[in-house]
Amino acid sequence: MEARDLSKDFGDFRAVEKLNLKINRGEVFGFLGPNGAGKTTSISMMVGLLRPTSGQVFIDEEEVQTIEKGTIGICPQELVLWDHLTCKESLTLIGDMYEVPKDKLTKRVQKLLDDLFLTDKADTVVTQLSGGMKRRLNLALALVHEPEIVVLDEPSEGLDPQSRRVLWNYIRSLRDDERKTVILTTHIMDEADRLSDRVAIIDHGKLLRLDTPSNLKKEIGGGDVVEMKISDPEKNQEAINAIQELEDVQSAVEVNGQINIRALDAVGKLPRIIDKVESLELNVVDLSMRQNTLEDVFIDLTGTGLRE
Amino acid sequence: MKFISIAKKDFKELIRDRRGLMMILLFPLFFMLVFGFAFGGMGESNQPHNLAVVNYDKGATMPSTGEHVNFGNNLTKILEDSKYENTDVHLFNVTQTTESDADKKIKQRTVDAELIIPENFSQSVVDLITATLQQSSTGTSTSTISSNVTSTIIIRGDTGYIAFGVSQAILTGVLEQYKDKIVSQVQNASTGSLGVDSNNYLQSKVEAIPGTSSFTTFDFMAPGMMVFAILLLAATVAVALTREVDRGTLARLKLSKMTSLDLLLGGLLPWSLVAAAQVIILLIVAVLVGFHWQGGLYTLLLAVFVGIIGGVASVSLGMIIAAFARNDRQAANMAPLICVPTSFLVGAFFQLPQVVIANIWGQPFQIYDLLPWTHVLNALRSTLTFGGGWDTIAYQVGWALILTIILFIVGVVLFSRNRLRAEN
Repeated sequence: MEARDLSKDFGDFRAVEKLNLKINRGEVFGFLGPNGAGKTTSISMMVGLLRPTSGQVFIDEEEVQTIEKGTIGICPQELVLWDHLTCKESLTLIGDMYEVPKDKLTKRVQKLLDDLFLTDKADTVVTQLSGGMKRRLNLALALVHEPEIVVLDEPSEGLDPQSRRVLWNYIRSLRDDERKTVILTTHIMDEADRLSDRVAIIDHGKLLRLDTPSNLKKEIGGGDVVEMKISDPEKNQEAINAIQELEDVQSAVEVNGQINIRALDAVGKLPRIIDKVESLELNVVDLSMRQNTLEDVFIDLTGTGLRE
Repeated sequence: MKFISIAKKDFKELIRDRRGLMMILLFPLFFMLVFGFAFGGMGESNQPHNLAVVNYDKGATMPSTGEHVNFGNNLTKILEDSKYENTDVHLFNVTQTTESDADKKIKQRTVDAELIIPENFSQSVVDLITATLQQSSTGTSTSTISSNVTSTIIIRGDTGYIAFGVSQAILTGVLEQYKDKIVSQVQNASTGSLGVDSNNYLQSKVEAIPGTSSFTTFDFMAPGMMVFAILLLAATVAVALTREVDRGTLARLKLSKMTSLDLLLGGLLPWSLVAAAQVIILLIVAVLVGFHWQGGLYTLLLAVFVGIIGGVASVSLGMIIAAFARNDRQAANMAPLICVPTSFLVGAFFQLPQVVIANIWGQPFQIYDLLPWTHVLNALRSTLTFGGGWDTIAYQVGWALILTIILFIVGVVLFSRNRLRAEN
């Protein structure tokens, strides 16, 4: 799947600007960006639900508007379900709409219900399902016709850790066992990090980076992140300036009232960092250390300001 | 057959949303109840009309017998005794009073109409009898008789009051009848049927008054009300369809191989059942609150059939509305905006001025005839009010069907264009 110079304007507002990217067959492709960054708009254009203002989308060199229906399965961000149908009825309906042969459809529906732990609820109407079950059904509806490309728009939104784990395993199996191409939009860094083969980070409708999660983390800087709280948060900037003067400190930024310091082998550098802070007559109130994550990359690229 | 899957889905959604379904079915029930009670006199179809009679008649002498007669009193008695056809209900509650008191009662609406019999009324009746006798014996026409006295009976009332309208129509009928009976009675008398007391004869004969049938306002209005109720089904359909857009389920279907025809034809089937249910409920309730119709069960069944066509037309209209409304709230607001004026245009409430735009098969085709509900209403009136069978309504039903199919096709095209293509 390929997007060429894809742009979308809503009036004066440019939601997506000249998006160019290629998604390979059989990979899990992560779309990462803050709320309102243009992820869903990009996805909608890529699956042919929204007409781009300019640019084109190709699937195997064929324009998306003319591809055979059923090539793509989309699991939307919101729960898009028929309240008064049961799980089985919903899946069968969608299968019928894609003209899946009856015998094949019956098997497929049963497998999806099994895989997504919905077998017990096969004959339960949607209104009586829990949030997690609805999410799983929402996903199953995108897969019932066995599409080549599966688009998952923030699929784990509002899921508990158990349900999330089921979902993640299932997404992996889609790629590994069924050789599907999976496009995943999310703002949950952990999800993108664990699942994606490659990640595109977009903000303000523009593509900022496109690479594997590990390359992105390397690019921003390897090593560890030290999160530090000082006695007077108003002096955070002053402390950051001082810390940045230290050798071997790659970066220091303020995130949610605390200071995030990135450095290789941070443990060895901690005494010097603390000394520096205390020299400003500030006390370190809280201190923790962890591995660099995709979230750090994300914040580094998109900043900390709210988008909405 | 994707439309069958859609039909099944829509049907399940309809049936399982119990509360929604209940409201859809309760609507025609309450609608007809309210209109039935408002215009049908609480199910009592025949009620006496309050009438004030001011009798100034001085009487006259019959030239043939020298007998003193007062036809004013005679007419008053007849009005008091007249009953609805085949019932024991009197046509009028007659109050004899003075003119000023009658005028006061008219303003207070304690009487519906006031009848003023002039002082020369008997004289004019005597002249009419004399003229009739002369005519039957000599063959001369009444207009050549110079001594003819004309009297004018005044029916007075508040012309803006519906009860007056009904009363004066019945009164006019009674007076016409009275005059005709006198003439025919005198003619009978002159040809040998002597010995008949004129007073008694008139009394007994005028009792049954053909022409003032037992129909109430409700009976005439009911078909229009049914069409109005059927038209409002468009709102329900429009809301249900736009909800599919609003909830995003349409986007799911849009990605599939489903076409606009599949979706709307699939929707048409269950909604037609709803239309049928509504029509049947409307008719049952109408009959229960005292709706009078002609032709028995046969015309009632014809009415159900015609009503369903109207219902299908409304479903199609709902689909057209859904092609334009962005969400169910817009649909709910847009539908009355279209349905209410449409019900006026098809003549659901009153007859509109004639606007003939063509002549088709020798029948005038009016601008309102472009709407299927006009034909549905015409057919309902022909069959229910006038007792017409299939032959009399076939033409209207044919038009209703053709226009409904056109409306449905327009719905499919618009929905496909506005809702099933990639959004801008």
